[in-house]
Amino acid sequence: MTIKSLTLPQLFPRPKSSTGIWSWIGTVDHKRIGTLYGITAFIWFIVGGIEALLIRAQLASAENDLIDPETYNQLFTMHGTTMVFLVIMPLSAAFFNWLIPLQIGSRDVAFPRLNAVSFWIFLFGSLIINASWITGNAPNGGWFGYAPNSSTTFNPGMGMTYWVVGLNILGVASIAAGLNFIVTILNMRAPGMSMFKIPIFTWMTLITSILIVLAMPVLAVAGIQLQTDRVYGTLFFDSLGGGDPVMWQHIFWLFGHPEVYILILPAMGIVSEVLPTFARKPLFGYPFVVFAGAVIGFMGWFVWSHHMFTVGLGPAANTAFSISTMLIAVPTGVKIFNWLGTLWGGNIRLNTPMLFSISFIAMFTIGGLSGVMHASPPTDAQQQDTYFVVAHFHYVLVGGALLGIFSGIYFWWPKFTGWFLNEKLGIVNWALMLIGFNFTFAPMHWLGMDGMPRRIYTYAENMGWEGSNLAASIGGMILGLGILVFIINVFYSKMNKQIAGSDPWDGRTLEWSTTSPPPPHDFDVIPQVRYRDDFWFTKYPETISEYFHDDHDQAVPSGAQFDDHDHDPLVVSGGADDHDDDHGHGGIHLPDMSYYPFILAFGIAIFGIGFLTNTYIIGIGAPFFLWGLIGWSMEPVNDPE
Amino acid sequence: MHRVSKLSFPLRPALVLVVPLAIALLAACTPENNQSTFGTAGPIAADQASLFKFIFWIAAAVFVLVEGAILYISIRYRRRSDSDKRPYQTHGNDKLEITWTIIPILILAVIAVPTLTTIWAQQNNVPQDKGEVLNVEAVGHQWWFEFRYPDHEVVTANEVHIPVGRPVAFKLESSDVIHSFWVPKIAGKVDMVPLNNNFLWMIGDEVGTYYGQCAEFCGIAHAHMRFRVIVDTEEDFQAWISGMHTAPDAPIAGSPEASGKNLFAANCSSCHTTDSTTPGSYAREISSQQARWNGWISDIENSGIVSAPNLTHFGTRSTLGAGLKDLTQESLEGWITDPSSVKIGTRMQKHAAVYDTADGTAKLSPTEVSNIAKYLLSLKPGSAPSGAVVETGGNVDGAEVFATNCTSCHSTGDNKIVGPGLAGIGDQAGSRVAGLSSDEYIEQSLREPAAFVVDGFPAVMPNWSHLGDDSIDALVTYLKTLK
Amino acid sequence: MWAFLGSDVMFFGAFIATYLVYRGKSLNGPYPSEILNIPITSVSTFVLLMSSLAMVLGLHYVKEGQKNKGTLWILAVVVLGAVFMGFQFVEFREFAHEGLTPRTNLFGTTFFILTGIHGAHVTIGVIWMAFLAYGSHKGALRSDNALDLEIAGLYWHFVDIVWIVIFTVIYLISANDGPPAGIESILHG
Repeated sequence: MTIKSLTLPQLFPRPKSSTGIWSWIGTVDHKRIGTLYGITAFIWFIVGGIEALLIRAQLASAENDLIDPETYNQLFTMHGTTMVFLVIMPLSAAFFNWLIPLQIGSRDVAFPRLNAVSFWIFLFGSLIINASWITGNAPNGGWFGYAPNSSTTFNPGMGMTYWVVGLNILGVASIAAGLNFIVTILNMRAPGMSMFKIPIFTWMTLITSILIVLAMPVLAVAGIQLQTDRVYGTLFFDSLGGGDPVMWQHIFWLFGHPEVYILILPAMGIVSEVLPTFARKPLFGYPFVVFAGAVIGFMGWFVWSHHMFTVGLGPAANTAFSISTMLIAVPTGVKIFNWLGTLWGGNIRLNTPMLFSISFIAMFTIGGLSGVMHASPPTDAQQQDTYFVVAHFHYVLVGGALLGIFSGIYFWWPKFTGWFLNEKLGIVNWALMLIGFNFTFAPMHWLGMDGMPRRIYTYAENMGWEGSNLAASIGGMILGLGILVFIINVFYSKMNKQIAGSDPWDGRTLEWSTTSPPPPHDFDVIPQVRYRDDFWFTKYPETISEYFHDDHDQAVPSGAQFDDHDHDPLVVSGGADDHDDDHGHGGIHLPDMSYYPFILAFGIAIFGIGFLTNTYIIGIGAPFFLWGLIGWSMEPVNDPE
Repeated sequence: MHRVSKLSFPLRPALVLVVPLAIALLAACTPENNQSTFGTAGPIAADQASLFKFIFWIAAAVFVLVEGAILYISIRYRRRSDSDKRPYQTHGNDKLEITWTIIPILILAVIAVPTLTTIWAQQNNVPQDKGEVLNVEAVGHQWWFEFRYPDHEVVTANEVHIPVGRPVAFKLESSDVIHSFWVPKIAGKVDMVPLNNNFLWMIGDEVGTYYGQCAEFCGIAHAHMRFRVIVDTEEDFQAWISGMHTAPDAPIAGSPEASGKNLFAANCSSCHTTDSTTPGSYAREISSQQARWNGWISDIENSGIVSAPNLTHFGTRSTLGAGLKDLTQESLEGWITDPSSVKIGTRMQKHAAVYDTADGTAKLSPTEVSNIAKYLLSLKPGSAPSGAVVETGGNVDGAEVFATNCTSCHSTGDNKIVGPGLAGIGDQAGSRVAGLSSDEYIEQSLREPAAFVVDGFPAVMPNWSHLGDDSIDALVTYLKTLK
Repeated sequence: MWAFLGSDVMFFGAFIATYLVYRGKSLNGPYPSEILNIPITSVSTFVLLMSSLAMVLGLHYVKEGQKNKGTLWILAVVVLGAVFMGFQFVEFREFAHEGLTPRTNLFGTTFFILTGIHGAHVTIGVIWMAFLAYGSHKGALRSDNALDLEIAGLYWHFVDIVWIVIFTVIYLISANDGPPAGIESILHG
């Protein structure tokens, strides 16, 4: 989109300083953007966690009146929304940003400024959603926003408008980031790194990004329809005007189920990196794991109605979606067995990242098994919208995604910072989290089977739910304590730095070949890739024959075989040109910093505020938006030197 | 160069993981709990529970296998001392991997077969070979359940009676947002979706009272939207149905119940019907309920009416406030005085004029509240069959006739319920139709309502001739006093 | 760009699906059969199709290095796109005049939002093309960086194709849609 030789006057001086707040606002460095994502998401994680603890405090005893129902509805709506959109997705995005260029041997992502704009839009979107707490109108219609309960008729406050405007803004950020990573992974791999030599985390990122790019527009459609319903009085989901509430569910879950895999696949990718490293063995059955991930990503589009088994779609639809849902358990099972195969016969070092990753398998298995139980519509009729489902998806998203992310944090922290997180505190952190997690969510299984519905702010004394609820609330506190230990660990380790070298864990992939932390340009020399786990085989060339001994098709490949035909010219644009001219020789060109992404995102944020308050405010956002857009397209990626 | 942890993994944390799970498993399975899905009392829930157990044991086996493997591998292959041994760098084993792709498929096929047969057995049509089918229409409202028996012309709320051993076909509807109809011990849930009627059949196997609860988030009082299913013997059920067609005995003049009846008529009757015992009252209640809804939706902020449960024979019920509390004089007084002390968010308090006070409690003295409660608790099938013309010997109280027969549709003020408000009707009636005096107009309206439907109102008013000449005359006299 | 278009396919797909699901379910008029003007919309559709042709020619000449012809054809794209938007604007105003707004009924809701979102895409395209035309005029767009134009062209053709789908589902297959069967029972049931 850049027309480089157009010379309009620079509307804004280019940021130059490399320290201070302006250096962060103007940054286009994927590592710094990753850090921004990580810190922001972690702050929202604490906010979402506090919301969860308040919920647990309210439910600790029967007929408790600590929190009134309106506030309670706001809390669980924001807890779900925050954890999904403001925590797990951006924490994954932090890893994508940090690791993808490092893992594929590149100096940055394909579109560094687009990357920056994604983050700023995400930041503003998350602020807009949470600003609702300050105005006293937090969303209260559930993170699923079911119509018609989310309409202005039944929900006249501003809460759900905040929710839908915020989600639409976040959607823009996610799509932009998703596009960026697809293009990066397809086009910017180091020479010789064919698709079946990229690290498994990169594969999972690619699949996740494709899912994001295809699923978020569906959410955007649902969001725009709900937004026009709420703001302009259209009739999409207005049952009084003939609009069908089931329509919302179809659109929302058509987005919502792929979203589940958007949340879990990055964690699976992290675990698939940690297990081989600490078992000191290659991932068992790499093609199977990749294929299983792709199959999950594909089949994730055909199971959405299992969220709707009780909506009354009829036995034929329930049969079809039941079968497709059960089938999706197969690739998931394959992954679990392959992870076990990876561990089998290894020399397993049980460091903190490994403990988290092994716990991931253990907990995710539980979540998967309970998932099979409500893949069966007759049993789901008793489980749908009960605490059994709450238990299930927390085993998948906390026991799965979150433990995986913590594993990744402990694993790559030395790479990000150059120093270790303390091992003893790490093990305390892990133990508290795992124990607290199980105490919180295991009892919810029997609560569900004992008939406790979700989203109720209180319950009667004679239902027999008090013991389990109290256990869950105590467990929640322990889990919170575990997170607290993590925060302490970060500060403790920062004060008592234990310096890590470039390759502290005896790693297998390219990111361990550069220094910790990596230089701004990532690699002094762009690596030439010959094998899967290239760095390992470079360190231990004598093991190459072990890996390839019974696989004659791949028999010890020699040298670079960069297949140019998947280098699609149409996707290269903008910032990709820092890659072409410099592997190993010549100067290193990095994209220069820019304020325009920030200005552009700011304009979009004003649009959002305009939808919430007064249409004229959208007009105020427009100049910022255009300024950002025009400034961006006129500004060359690099100033002439 | 390779930093390796000094801490090798101790075994104890593994036990820490297993112990809470084991304890929790022991605490599970409490079929005696009110909403347990295990202590089932009907074939639908029983089949769902046995299918669950079938899947559960398969899952348990997989669980033990996988978790056992994780523990075994983590211990067996953990690094001992400072060994820097490099394991054999195998890339995988295709045969093994294909095997463990196929095994889950087989397991899932085993689960899928009973799943599919159960789906088609439960979600298709009501079985016709298990006795005469009882039809019930259940309507979800924010935040209570309405139950209609179209075959018996009975309408009630929050407590549904069904006969033991007979299939009951529920037609599930919603008037506002999505609710979900769930009686864990008898049948798994099916949602009540506006514009999408759903069907659910069930059989209650054992006589008793079963708890039900709305399972789909439906707004501020979602937690307090509960109901009961009362499974009666066939005789009790028939008695209940005929009781629902028997008017209650009129309270003795001067009793607290009589005072409560008038207070109820004045303050509550525009939304709550208490007399759906007479022929035609079933259709009237349905259109009244629709009219209350229309009234509320057209002016959500200020509406004086709102959808409300039918209270016919309220004294026979066991709970109040949609299954919230045991029904006693005391609990009912508390509810009438300040509904939100029981159920935060209830619409009654917001829309009924009687609660238009600074602190939201009722504009009624404790005695008045007590009288209303006594009246409501006295509502039970009486000794006289309904519909019989009560001969009164010419001494009829028009206000009372109005309160018993007309208040579900007409207010004595200006607000519209189903029909127009009747304030000032005496003055207006004379000018309505040329040649008819106001007495004649009102009497004609009562005897031939279809002739004079006011524009904009549904033509649902029945013919009231059966009240008898004395009552009609008294009513006309009373109506003319309304200002 | 292909990835972005894939994303946009999902976006329009969901809107079109909504339209199709709600087709013929409006509870009150005006219904499509009473309001759609197919001959006029056919003309505007033709205009948009011609703009795609202009796009192809513009790209061809830019790649050939014939600056002026390239500029001219890109400018033609801009003009034709703007004419299309003009048609849409007039159509919207006409409908509003006849009593169909997004709030009137489900047809109004789905029609305005779907065609409106498409119109927004066309508008973005027109602005983008105007930039490129200016760039081409200034000599900044040359055969060696014709990729910029090719990407924009891809977008333009995509928007054009989406319109053909929209034209088919809204104007051709639902042209005769009136009130839904059994509307009486829906309204009074």
